[in-house]
Formats: sequence, structure tokens, C-alpha cells
Amino acid sequence: MSRVEKKAPSVCTDLPLNNAEVCAKLHLMKELLKSCYGPRGRLKHVRNNIGGRVTTSSASSVILPALYSSQPLLNLIKSSVLNHISRFSDCGLFAGVFCLSLLEQARRHELRESLAIKVNKHCLSLCTSYLQRDDCACRVKIDFSSSQNLMTLAGSIVSSKPACLLTEAEKLHISTMAVRAFLQTIPCSSPGPVTLGQTVTVTVRGLPVLDSAMFPGLLVEMHDDFNQTDSSSEPLRTVLFSTSLAGDLAELGDGTIEADPDLDTDLQILDQLLELGKQLVEDEVRLCVCQKVIHPVLQQYLRSHGVVVMERLGMALMEPLGMLSGTQPVATLHARIPSTAYGRVKNLSTKQFGNKTMLHLQPDGEAAVCTAVLCHRNETMLDELKVAWRKTEDVLRLTLKEPSALLGGGCTETHLSAYVKHKGQQEASETAAGLRCSPAEFLLGVKVFCRSLDMVARSLEHDGGSSAMDLNHAHHWTVSADAAGEDMAGGLGLCGCGLVENSSTEWTFLNTEYAEFCPAPLLGDSCRKPTVLDSFTAKVNALQVAVETANLALDVRYVIKDEN
Amino acid sequence: MNLFFFFLRQDVMLKSVTAKEHQYVGLHKLSALARTLHSFIGPQKSYKFIQDDRSGESALTCSCFCTIQNLDPTCALDQLVRETLQEHEKIYHTGSGCLMFLAGAWSNAALHGLRQGISITQIISAMSEGIEICLDAIRKSAVFFNGNDVILSRRSTAAALSSRLSLSKKALSEASNMSSNLKATPAKVYQQVQNGSGHRQIKLSRYFCETKSEMVSQFETYSVAHIAEALSHRCDNVMEMAVEAMQIQSRNNQDNSFVTFDITKVMTCVLFGLPEDCCCVVQGCIVLLADEKVSVFHHLKTKHLKVALVNGDLSHNYRHLGFKRPAGMQHVRDQPGVSGSSREDEWVKKVVKLLLDLGVNLILITGVACKAMVQHCCRHQILVVEKLNFSVLRNFAQSTGSVPVTYASQLGHHCVGTGVQLALWRDLSCYDRKLLLPVSISTGGNTELVTAILTSSVQCKLESLEDRFWACAYRLHHALKDRALLPGAGRTEMFCICHLQKQAKYCREKQSDSVPTAAAGTATALHTSVMLELMAEGLMDYITTVMINSGKLSKVKARTIVSRQLQTFDVHKGNAAKFPQLVLRNEATAVSSVKTTECAQTVEVYDNLCVKQEAWRKALDLVFLVLQTDGEVVSGVDQKMETDAMML
Repeated sequence: MSRVEKKAPSVCTDLPLNNAEVCAKLHLMKELLKSCYGPRGRLKHVRNNIGGRVTTSSASSVILPALYSSQPLLNLIKSSVLNHISRFSDCGLFAGVFCLSLLEQARRHELRESLAIKVNKHCLSLCTSYLQRDDCACRVKIDFSSSQNLMTLAGSIVSSKPACLLTEAEKLHISTMAVRAFLQTIPCSSPGPVTLGQTVTVTVRGLPVLDSAMFPGLLVEMHDDFNQTDSSSEPLRTVLFSTSLAGDLAELGDGTIEADPDLDTDLQILDQLLELGKQLVEDEVRLCVCQKVIHPVLQQYLRSHGVVVMERLGMALMEPLGMLSGTQPVATLHARIPSTAYGRVKNLSTKQFGNKTMLHLQPDGEAAVCTAVLCHRNETMLDELKVAWRKTEDVLRLTLKEPSALLGGGCTETHLSAYVKHKGQQEASETAAGLRCSPAEFLLGVKVFCRSLDMVARSLEHDGGSSAMDLNHAHHWTVSADAAGEDMAGGLGLCGCGLVENSSTEWTFLNTEYAEFCPAPLLGDSCRKPTVLDSFTAKVNALQVAVETANLALDVRYVIKDEN
Repeated sequence: MNLFFFFLRQDVMLKSVTAKEHQYVGLHKLSALARTLHSFIGPQKSYKFIQDDRSGESALTCSCFCTIQNLDPTCALDQLVRETLQEHEKIYHTGSGCLMFLAGAWSNAALHGLRQGISITQIISAMSEGIEICLDAIRKSAVFFNGNDVILSRRSTAAALSSRLSLSKKALSEASNMSSNLKATPAKVYQQVQNGSGHRQIKLSRYFCETKSEMVSQFETYSVAHIAEALSHRCDNVMEMAVEAMQIQSRNNQDNSFVTFDITKVMTCVLFGLPEDCCCVVQGCIVLLADEKVSVFHHLKTKHLKVALVNGDLSHNYRHLGFKRPAGMQHVRDQPGVSGSSREDEWVKKVVKLLLDLGVNLILITGVACKAMVQHCCRHQILVVEKLNFSVLRNFAQSTGSVPVTYASQLGHHCVGTGVQLALWRDLSCYDRKLLLPVSISTGGNTELVTAILTSSVQCKLESLEDRFWACAYRLHHALKDRALLPGAGRTEMFCICHLQKQAKYCREKQSDSVPTAAAGTATALHTSVMLELMAEGLMDYITTVMINSGKLSKVKARTIVSRQLQTFDVHKGNAAKFPQLVLRNEATAVSSVKTTECAQTVEVYDNLCVKQEAWRKALDLVFLVLQTDGEVVSGVDQKMETDAMML
């Protein structure tokens, strides 16, 4: 008999953004993301409540997936930022902080939701069109004939992860490696459609960072001893299996098999496997690689015939190995392997890294596959180094799409903010008419947008210092807590991105009011190069994601929650 | 539903600290945790009981690592500490106490720095500079020795080489007897090493050393016994066992050019119920046999046996790693089943038949064997030895010419090795009631396998005895691998303190000399000097704690002694070995009286180079991670459980 349970009524929250609890949570999330932002950001221990592994990180790609909220609004913001990260890798924290600031500032200035949405959209279009313009003062062209800007870009990303605890020399080493890896994966001269190569990362714990290195070809960790067979210079015929050769019925799926109890299925499959082994030996295969496990009996058989056996390769290495050797992965053991599926590997050798022994597979001919061996002293830092490495890799690739970069160190944010404020003030009356609001209301909206941008720049400082902007180029400067109160013109040094030096102009603190001005572009003859650069593509997209997500959140009227 | 909590710098544990310091709960916790483990530092260790309130069980621990292992981690910091120690212990098997102490001491240093308004970024850069200074000083104070010159046998050393200042145990005792007229006491030998070239001898090859041969010749002979004694840290009896194990090993090693200690070929066999003085080291592999295997053994002893090696379980349903049993398998029979024997019985019969065909008498396996298999084997006089290490198996494979396989069905003639003998190691029937028979499995005198027999009549002591044995064995192993030793008993630490203080002074002077306008630069220099002083203070704490732990010294007295030593030391001329040993073997009060003859009786204490370097590095890395962390993200927390958490 089924029991009838009383159903709880759904809970409907009216205007969630006006709810104090929701606002407190949004604020908390903003503080959390803000505290992680930038090269001096604070770290978070991430773990579950049953004593799982602790990860220590400040990367949005690590922290955000661990956040679960009971508030759908927060989950909405989280998932849109995560979606951005999955496509562009960089600027996740930027998107999160900017989006949450927009919501918070709008509420603080008591801006109507509908108006805020309209003004935000307008400001966003101002920003994006300015960033695409040729005379944009915060964009830097990337010149592929020189590695300088690429190195700066890579260096900025590597140093934005404080949990890596890298020294200056180590940062340089890693960013040089990243740029080299990037350049190596671009094929030199292949006709037809160009496919980029791949970089595989291998991590080794316990060695100093400076031992990290790049190798052409693939390095695969060996599980058992490797006995160097005859070292003839001929390339090795290679076969690659994507199916399990462990003797289980991997192809069975969910179906069922009816069998006689006297039938030994294991033995039957083993016979099949040995049949396969016989074919491999007949076809003079010298290297047999399997993504999954190979049955020990088959391994023994192949080894006794002089075949090098590698098992448990893992999914991640399948594609690079296919690229390197030109093999077609074999997915079944019930058909004869066509000769076209075989590939070739030029040479096999072993390399020792700490306590890991790795087999080095070299490509036969030109193949844009290389391996980066990343080393660090302990696991936490190594994990973070791997995150930074992947991010650098992705950002460098994005430059192929759009060969530009944005000034880092908060300078792009302050510059954009000053530009938007100036532009808004200039066109206040006509734009306000277009948006059907009063110019004062419009200017308030612009102020909210600019304040939010400034907030992102201010988030870079964590040691109690304050942020300032010069009233000429609108670049971002940090004033340390010790130096505050002293003469600011005297000791500020370089701006956040390292392009402007201590120009004797006026300053304003970022959380104060200032008269609007048109940020002047830097004169082209300056020999100074930016020291911090951000990814152009990632940041522009993050800007859009942040504004659109904020607008979506502002548009939410009710939250309906099923309590059952 | 999963909830998420975020602890934002709040904890109720430390109410007395100021509001700002609330932020650094992690550092406070780390230093508090380290403080509870202070009693494990130094050679004189005291046992600790860890009691579980719920089950009422308790554990006796005698090392930092064991203690942390036995505690339930309650927060992310505990987890982090646990992981760090596990990682360290996995590689080095020693040095966890030092790691933990310095993590605590340096987190105190960081806290002091924060209290003085130094920013986290500056603390990190200053302390990184500090650790570089320390590691450099450690490298400078290391005593390197050439592997070719390490003398193995204790007896031959003592007899033949005492005139060459070989520092064997026997020579030492002779030296102490004649200390009044013998000029070259052990301590001086080392000083000469240091003074001669300013640096230690790093003889990379024979060609190298010829250029400065007259310097080297005096000290090129080190006996393993001496090295071991220096590294024993008061665990003399187990260290002697480790040395013996090594000697047995190298006696059988043809390649004698380098003296090494292959730790993978060492086993331990723990016997409960025998007095502790029965501990010994035996060549070969000693296993305990029980029940019906005993009679098989009696049948097989003195015979030359054929051996098979199986890397896995010896049972019907064992499958290799990564094998998945098909889920949708149904067995359909067209007639009612009448088969008498089960599948397992058939399998056992098949395997036993195979073994009999191959003439195998002995199977060594890494896993376990099923009961039916063991019974069948016993019936056919085949001995099954279970739960061996794979490295042991590999050794047997080398010495007998057999090949390890995963499944018994893989065995063929080429997999089976010959020439194994079984022998009763010792008849223990007078001690033991359960009739466990210790049997040695040997391969005709040329095996490198060594078993350390650890005995105790108190069962709970066995575990710590085993721990100590491995710690000693690994210390010896690392020393021979590094080919270097580090002056112990606080000497290296004092040397590092000197270097840190020197650099701190330099920074201070730079700061006061500089022009006042460059405000930012001078502040950094000042902060660096403060942080370096604080780091030195942490090391000072370490030395004094070791001194307090090993004797009846008070903290004040210990500090006075250390600072007096530091004042009289000249950084530019001396090195670590110039310091007197602060922690003496017998009498802590003899600390300052270096010149007395008593000094000659004390053994010089040394540490491992790479272990110390790694431990210090890891300690500081831990502090840095905690220092930079301001929050904890926990997923899946019950709302009622955590009161001081904020929830998203």
C-alpha cells in the first residue's frame, strides 16, 4: 500500500536581489573571489567534509567547482563563469568579481533593475567597440616575429598563481618553456588545413622547478622494467589499442550472454588474445601500446617475442600518440588488424626523472607533439603549477585567433572605466533619451559600471594598501600601506602594467570621486615595454559574460523552489 | 543537497589574540600542533599514548609521524600536515620530527612578522631568502666522503687502520682509553678536514683527488661502523643491526667499488615473546611457517628445491589489475547439473598438476593463497609462502633464474628456478606456544637478501622497534647514497643561525646607511632583517628543545649555552664542525666543558644531508601555503555541524 505524504508547498521568493540573505551570500561570494584575485591573492584550502584530499589554490577553475549554494542565483553566476573558463581558461575571477560588483553596486546606488540592465548593455558596447578600435590605448599588438610580448603574456599568467611559490628565475624558466612549447606545436610546413600539435604534460614531484624541461615526442611513465631490445636504428612498427586487452568482455556493453556453465569464458578470450598476439608478431610489430590493461599472459607472450609492451596509457595520451606515430587506434580484438592501422616510432629510450622512469618515444619525421615535464617540490604546488601551465598554454593559443593582448595589472580596468565615464558624460543627454531615462539616472548607471570596473582593479591589492589612478593616462597604481600618506608623486614607481613611469600628474584614489577626463594615449615613441599583459580574447569575453550574467540576475523577479 | 561553507578568517580557539590576528588561525594551529610534538625531537624520545575516546583503544607512539598518522584529521590544516609528512616519510623514512618542529617554529616567526606589520609578500620573499642562506650553509657544513674509501668490515678497520685514524668503534674505544696521550681524537680529525681546503673534499673521481692527495689521504678512510655510530642517535642496538645487514649484503655483492646499502633487499621478521636481546640479523629470507606447512618444511629441508614466483594471489577467483568481470553473464544448462566438483576444486587440481609436472616444490607469492590451494599443495609436499614483497620476489628471480608471473597457469619450464634451500633458522619451541617456525629460504650463499629479526616480550613495543630499525637503516642508506654527512647535535643549526644573523645585520646596516628618500627600499631591507632574525630564532628554539629533551637543562640554561657559543664563533673562518656538540650522549651538563677528557668518549653525532635539506624546505613550504591561505572551502557540510562557518 502506498503511503500518501503531505507535500510541502513551493517557496517563492519575490525580488531575490532585495532579499538580505541573498545579498549577504552574494557579498560573501564576491569577497571570496576577490581575495583570490591577482599575483598576491590569498589561497583557499578546498576539501570535502569527510576528510578528503586538501587542495590549496587560488585558481577559479579549482575553487568554483567546489562551491555549492542553496541559492539558484549564485549557482547561475558560478556556472556561467565556469562555462567561460572551460572555453577560455583565463579571467574567471575577473568575470566573477565584476559580475558580483555590478549587482552589489546597483543595489547600493538604488538603481532600478530595468535601467541598470539597459545602461550596462550600453557601457559594455562602449567598451567592446573601444577595445576593437585601432587607437585603443590599452591594447598591445602581438608580433610573432619577436617573442617578447608572448613571454610577457606567459610570465603574467604564471605569476598570477601565488600557490606555485615560484622565484623570479623559476617564473622565467616556466614561461620560456611555455612559449617554446607553444611555438613547437605550430607545424612549420604542411600543405592543406593546419592542425596544431599537442603538448603533453608530465608531472614529477620532489624535483626543483628548474629541472622542468621540454622534449620533442612523448614521454610515458613506465610501470615495469623496460628491457632495451636491440637498438637498431630502424623505426619501430607500432600498434595502438583503445580497447582493453585484459581479457574482459569490454564490447559486451549492457547486454547479457547465456553460456554453458562448463564453458570457461576467460580461457576463450585468452585464446582470442593470443591469436591477436600471434598476428602482431607475424606482422613484425615491435611496440604494442594499449590504452587499458593488457592480460599478463599476452604480455608475457609478446615480450618473449621481442615486442616492447606498454599498457595503461590512459585516455589523455591516445590522441598525441596517434599523431606522433600515425597509428589508427584498434578498438576491437575480433577482427584482423588492417595494415593501415600500424604506425611507426623512430626511437625508444628511457629517461629518469627523480623516481620516475619514463619511456621516450620519438616521432618518425615531423610531428608537432612535445612533452613538458613539470617538476615541483610538493604536490600542492605541483598541482597549481599544472593549472598555471594549462592556462598559459590556452592563452598563448588564443593569440593565434586574435594577435593582441591587454595591459595587465589593473591598468585596462581603470583605463576602460575612465573612458566609459568620459564617453558617458559627453553623450549623456542623447543616450539618456535613447534609453528613455533622465540624464541623471543614466549617469548614475554609468557610475555603477565604472565603480565595478574600478573594484576589480582594487581587488589586486591584498596587503592593506590602496589603489590609485593617474588623471592623465588612467593607469592603475598601488600604494602600499607603509607609503600611504607620504607624498604620492614621490614614491609610486611604475604603474601596474609597467608602461607608465611616475609621471608628474595628478592622482586620485579609486574609491573617490573625480572629474571625468579623456584618458590620453601613450606616445608611441616610449621605449618602455609592458611587464604585465592579459589575454585579449579571454578578457573581452569575460567582460561580456560578466555583464550578461549580471543583467540576467537583475532580471530575475521570482525564485520558485520546490521544497519536496 | 550539498551545502557549501566558507570559513572566512574566524575561529574561536584563540580568543586572546587581537582582532587582526584572527586572520592567521592557520599559523596558530600549525604552531600549536607542532608544540604538542616537541617531545619527539632529539635522541631522547618519550612515548605518547593516543587514546580513542569512543572505542577506548589506545596506541603507543614514539615518533612524530606515527602520532600524526594516529590522529583523526579535523580540519584542512591537519590534512595538509598529514599529507606533507606522508610524502616525506615515503621517501626518507626519517626527519618528520624536524620538519614538524620547524614548520611550527617558522609559523611563529611569520606570526611575529605579521604582528610587526610586515606584509605577507615581504615575509615570503624574506623567508625565501632565509631558506636559501640556510641551505647554502648546510651545503657548506656537510662533510663529504668518497665512496671508494668507505671501509666495510669493522674488524679489519680496527686492526689494520687504527693508525690511519680510522674511526671504527674499536678504535674509538682505544682512543678513549689513551685519550690523554693520543693527540688525534675523532673531533680533531673532522676539524682537519674542514680547515685544510676551506671546503670539504668532493672527490668525484680518482683523477680528481690526485691533485690534492696529501690533504685527502689523512681522512679517506671512513668505516661504515663509524658512520653508523654517528647516525645512530641513541638507537645503537638497532643501528648495529642495520650495519650488520649491510655488511652481509655487501659480502655477497661482487661489485665492491661503491659501498651502498640496498634497502629494498632488507626484510623484517617480527617475533613476539622472545626477549629483546634475541634481535639479530640473518642472511637470506626468514619467514614464519605455521600449522601444516611445518610438516612440508620438514619433508623439504636439506633438499635442492625448484621455485616458482607468483606476483598476485594464488586463488581461483584472482584476476589481474584492471580486469572487469562481465556483468551480463548467465549460465544456462540444458540438463540438470550433476557435477560433483566445484570450479574451484577443478582449478586447484589443474594448478597442482601443473606444479607437479614442473617439479616445483616451493611457491613464493606476493598475495595470499586460498585455503584449498594451500591444503592441496601441502598434501603434495609443495610449500606456499605468502605475502612477500615484490622486491624480494625480484631478488629470487635474479638469483634462481626464475620469472615472476601473475597467474599460476602462466608457469612454464622457463619460469621455474632452481637451487633454493630451506633450513630451520632457530628452534624457538621453548619460547613460543603457537609453534611458529622461523625458516630461512636461501639460494646457496650468494643472496643479498637480509632479514632483521626483531623480538620483544612486550607486544606494543614491537611496532616502535620496527620503526626505529627502519629509521636507522634508512639513515645509513641515505648517508651512503649522499656520500655526505652533516654535523649533528645542533652544530649545523648553529652554523645556519650565524649565517642568518650575519645577513640580517648586513640588511640593517644597508638600511641605516641608505639615503632617507628611498623609503620603500629601506623598509624592505629592515623587514628582511627582522624576518631573518626570526628565522634564526626558530632554529635556536630547535637546538634548545633538543637540549632540554635530552637532559636536565632548563630552557634558560640551554639558551645561555647556545648564545655563548654563537658569540665566540667567527662566521668567516669557521664552519659547523667547529661548534662543540651541544647535546651530549651521557651528560648534558658537560655541554660547555669541551676541553675535558670526557669529550673524547662522546661519539660525534651526524645527520643526513638530503633529509635535513628536504625537511627544512618542506617545513617552509608548508608555512608559506598556510600563510597565504585565508579561508577554507568545504563542500557537503551538515548545516548544524559547523557553527563558525559561513554558508553560501
